[in-house]
Amino acid sequence: MNATANAGEILSVSNLTRIFGGLTAVRDVTMSVQAGEVVGLIGPNGAGKTTLFNMLGGSLPPSSGSIRFDGSDCTGAPSHVMGQRGVSRTFQITSLFPSLTALDNVRSAAYRTTRAGWGAAILRNAAYRREEAELRRKAMEILAFCDLDHRADTLADSMSYGEQRRLEIAIALAAEPRLLLLDEPAAGMNPEEGQRLVEMIRRIRARGVTVLLVEHHMRVVASVCDRLVVLDHGVKIAEGAPAQVLNDPEVIRVYLGREPVDA
Amino acid sequence: MNTNSHGQTLAIAGGVAAAAVLPFLSGNAYLEHLLVLWMLYALLALSLNIVIGYLGELTFGHAAFVGVGAYTSAILSTQFGLPPLLGLPLAGLVAAGFGLVIGYAALRVVGPQFAILTLGFGAILFTITNHWVDLTRGPMGITDIPPMAIGPLAFDSARPTYYLVLALVLATAYLCHALVSSRTGRAFLAVRENAPLAASLGINVFHTKLLGFVAATAIAGIGGAIYAHYIRVITPDIMGVHNVAALIIVVIIGGRGTILGPILGALVYIGLLESLRVAGPLRMVIFAALLTGTVVFLPGGLVSLWQRWRNSNKSENTQPATPTGLPSAEGGAK
Repeated sequence: MNATANAGEILSVSNLTRIFGGLTAVRDVTMSVQAGEVVGLIGPNGAGKTTLFNMLGGSLPPSSGSIRFDGSDCTGAPSHVMGQRGVSRTFQITSLFPSLTALDNVRSAAYRTTRAGWGAAILRNAAYRREEAELRRKAMEILAFCDLDHRADTLADSMSYGEQRRLEIAIALAAEPRLLLLDEPAAGMNPEEGQRLVEMIRRIRARGVTVLLVEHHMRVVASVCDRLVVLDHGVKIAEGAPAQVLNDPEVIRVYLGREPVDA
Repeated sequence: MNTNSHGQTLAIAGGVAAAAVLPFLSGNAYLEHLLVLWMLYALLALSLNIVIGYLGELTFGHAAFVGVGAYTSAILSTQFGLPPLLGLPLAGLVAAGFGLVIGYAALRVVGPQFAILTLGFGAILFTITNHWVDLTRGPMGITDIPPMAIGPLAFDSARPTYYLVLALVLATAYLCHALVSSRTGRAFLAVRENAPLAASLGINVFHTKLLGFVAATAIAGIGGAIYAHYIRVITPDIMGVHNVAALIIVVIIGGRGTILGPILGALVYIGLLESLRVAGPLRMVIFAALLTGTVVFLPGGLVSLWQRWRNSNKSENTQPATPTGLPSAEGGAK
């Protein structure tokens, strides 16, 4: 596999490595994501999935290797630069703007796609008023998309867990990302909520957003992903269609065939 | 929503009208002087609120920027004969320049480390002011500072100064309102609430904080200059720790992250300190107890009383209450 940009390739990662002290969390990982795909990143705890995510999102610089997004090199670019280029992410631990309402969470998150700043707001000019009205409409549309429009005026930290997880996705979508990184979106969800999440990811893809997700719920992964990448001890051990990867003896061995590391 | 914003407009108009007639009701010069102090504290607290309330960073250096502004305008007018009114914007610019340099260094860290750094920078500015006798006359202070004047209208007494500062407070309140209803201010709140998430959405956390810090220091500098031309004497004490504490107290008892909060907090601070004079030496003890009580029972400040009342009203009428511990995003600005 090489890292030259194919048509339609939105993300390509080559020989990416991250070392913490003596521990190599991610070793020499090479993978790519095509525009419009839903790709799942799986692996046992401690496999380096979140480390890889943090490097893709810009919050952690790689020790070596390179990341290309949308045809341009962005290895080591900081988080806000990745955000501006169109990579949005959610976090493993619920991460939102707790003392703002759901509507303000989404409006704050639309930073990348709005222009009218402080000066325009002081002047209250036509461009400002138009953009504010449009922003409100768009924010309500995104809340409705995540089934939260009836909660628009509720503070984020007084929402239920399931609502908060959907609000996180609404926040990420408000930035109108080209690539959405979802870190364990189904964590702590019951099967019914997991099914709703699967539906939502399908609809996100239908909006034209490419999705890369880390997930432990195999049912979610198998039903929504086009392709899976499996990490173990920071090394990529398998890649391919879900049916094929989940029957791979090596993958089964990694997941089931030895003492659980996290027991 | 429409009726709500109409009610809000009415309330603001009523408040401004009340503030405008206050000096005529006060009846004596001392009360008018207290009104000026109220407005000055409100102006400075509004500026500090940008950092504490909107950016969510505690700064102990704010009084130093007030002092930089005061000394800038005082030196320019006493030694170079610059008209004091021209000194105001220059004081703002010089204070903002200090804010830019200090913010650029200190905003690399967050939380307690940032607070301690600002304390350190504040102490450095205080020490320089105290010892650079050739420029600042050191502990003797600068005296005979001329009052501000526009043509024949001199701000040499409390009443005209009150109106000048009231106008600046209203202007600053409007600036803050515009801020929180803009993309820029929403980025401030996003950074306060969750910096890593804000960054992942394309917000440059450092630049956002620096902008807020510099804006706050500019307003602080202007406020300091007005103070200098009103009181007509300044000493390095203006940069002292007690002034820092006073401003932080005003913002917190009023309600951080809101616009009405700092104005209300300043009123309570000035009013309470004065009315407690009857208590003699126990004054500061009672004041401290009241302050502690406010922080414990009203963490959102005095403004949160109104928000609680509004929420309990809402739950009776229409929908379930949304429990609020903290002031909402726009708070008094909505």
